[in-house]
Amino acid sequence: MSRKVCIIGGATTPFDYGATGFESIEGGAAECVRETQQDVPEFSLRDLDLMIYSHFSVHFGHQLAPEWVIHDHLGLVGLPHYRVENGGNTGGSALYAAALAIMSGHHDVVGIVGWETMDSVSQSQGSEFIAMASDIRYELMVGGIYPIYYAAMANKWMKDNKVTEEDVARIAVKNKNNAMDNPKAQWYRNDHRYITVDDVMKSRLISYPIKKLDCCLMSRGVAFLLVCSEEYAKKVNPDNYVTVDGIGLSSCTIRAGDRLNNPGWSERYGPGYPGMTEFAACRNSAEQAYKMAAIKDPLKDIDFGEIHDAFSTSEAQIYKALGLADENTIAKFIRDERTSMQGDIPMNPGGGLLGYGHPVGATGIMSAVECYYQLAGMIPKKHLSKKTEVPDAECGIVNSHAGTGTSISNFIFRRH
Amino acid sequence: MMKGVLMAKNKEKFADPPNFTEKRDYRPKDVKETGLSYVGHEISEDRTVMNQFLHYDQLYTIRHGWNSKFFIGLLEGKIMGTRCPKCGDSWVPVRTHCWNLNCNLQKTEWIEMPLTAKVHTWTIAGWSGRSSLKRLPIILVYAQIGTSKVAMANELHGINPWDVEFGMPLKIVFKPKEQRVGVVTDFHFEPVDFWKPSPMTEEKQRIKDLVTPVYEWVKTLK
Repeated sequence: MSRKVCIIGGATTPFDYGATGFESIEGGAAECVRETQQDVPEFSLRDLDLMIYSHFSVHFGHQLAPEWVIHDHLGLVGLPHYRVENGGNTGGSALYAAALAIMSGHHDVVGIVGWETMDSVSQSQGSEFIAMASDIRYELMVGGIYPIYYAAMANKWMKDNKVTEEDVARIAVKNKNNAMDNPKAQWYRNDHRYITVDDVMKSRLISYPIKKLDCCLMSRGVAFLLVCSEEYAKKVNPDNYVTVDGIGLSSCTIRAGDRLNNPGWSERYGPGYPGMTEFAACRNSAEQAYKMAAIKDPLKDIDFGEIHDAFSTSEAQIYKALGLADENTIAKFIRDERTSMQGDIPMNPGGGLLGYGHPVGATGIMSAVECYYQLAGMIPKKHLSKKTEVPDAECGIVNSHAGTGTSISNFIFRRH
Repeated sequence: MMKGVLMAKNKEKFADPPNFTEKRDYRPKDVKETGLSYVGHEISEDRTVMNQFLHYDQLYTIRHGWNSKFFIGLLEGKIMGTRCPKCGDSWVPVRTHCWNLNCNLQKTEWIEMPLTAKVHTWTIAGWSGRSSLKRLPIILVYAQIGTSKVAMANELHGINPWDVEFGMPLKIVFKPKEQRVGVVTDFHFEPVDFWKPSPMTEEKQRIKDLVTPVYEWVKTLK
């Protein structure tokens, strides 16, 4: 039997576009570690025995192996380190790697630093850099940016599931307004306003049915997460640790069009699935995580989640892939606002990518940090109020998502 | 020394190297490839923070290797696909080995696809990367070409954005031969000749309202 994986702390820099106050990446990483130490005074840098770095694109920093700059700056010479890269699921994949390291028994205390500096080039250049994670031979020149691929998938999904533009706009409203309670969130720091469904509907067309306010933010930011064995958790943070009870990682095609009739999925889920609309890698990785964590009914067994809302439409698609609703119930599930702070399964109380921001390599780590805060009862300390606290939360899900659904991970965290 | 000569004689070749006899310099005039250089900086008014500007122009070589027939086909106004001789699945975009695990990475054979397709899904882009802004709004469709099991993304021309429909039949139209460069934008989709748009609906009107400002905005671009 493999060992239990625990999380005992973590922090992010403020997420922003342009100046953040933590202008160097290695400086930001150091500040995240310092904040974690304030929460967990017994944790010493000397206890770390592995560092995993979570970073998507060296195009943004124009520095190959930028993790070497951070690792060196943290004073960790001699410690093993490597970087994980898996598109938008880089953070989730780094957490997966850290969990395996602990489960194997080979490492006891693993630090993860995630970051991205998307403001080092213009917004439109940045969009094109990200689009280079599409198949550049076939798709780069005909879509040009990711929202277009996502819109094509979402358009059919919404028709098939009778979900409207207004329905998904509620999700954008929820997450951006949740972010107004979070001082590190980019939406709080920059736009700083509460929005309505009408604002989303009237915002500029990006790619039908996606409008500007349905989209996440391009960001600069750094995040740190401390993953360890239960023995170490009991030693340094006995009252405030969470256990990672389930992990799942799955994959799908790089080009969304290649999901039609794909024999790998037909074999698992029968013909016709996932088509170009469902996130099969999300369903598959959630099933792995649920099985490991003995989740029978996700809607009842999970209290809340921090999930990958790159677009309001994708959060809706993720609800279905996580098994929270099916084709017949998904539209009502969204309209009943089941995932708002007042709902039975709040999603993205921290603001998500739509509100907190999406510095790719830091994003999945940010989601894990927010999930940890909820379960450790730290929200009143980290957010501006208790409005975005999930009362008595026992079990949370963290979801990290890449490409057009090309790599997706899910994790079940439980309060100890 | 003797041993070295013997080894060179016995060197195994996987394939004969291709010859590229016609060499041309495709670098755009403004691409200097001078290498990395710091070209300037800015300092905040309180002189606590500095931003520095690093410039690097580069030309990449995308070597299409075994996929080359598809891209050469584009130059000739053809859509080349591949087919697995074992299971019969076929694809555009192409696969040089079969995706079916039972076929155990069977090498595929080339087939010429008919210039017809069917819309699987679609979107209307009102925003894009820098290189596409002036062409907005763009109708992007994923369509299945010929017998292909998968859908391929490309632009749909020749109709109003609000008239595009799921499942609509398409034809493939190539640019004039002298304008083709061997990339997917050498062709686009158009509705087949017999296709007629359906009457205006609430959703079509919504799309029309969303794209109208995009047309206006594009006019302001230099």
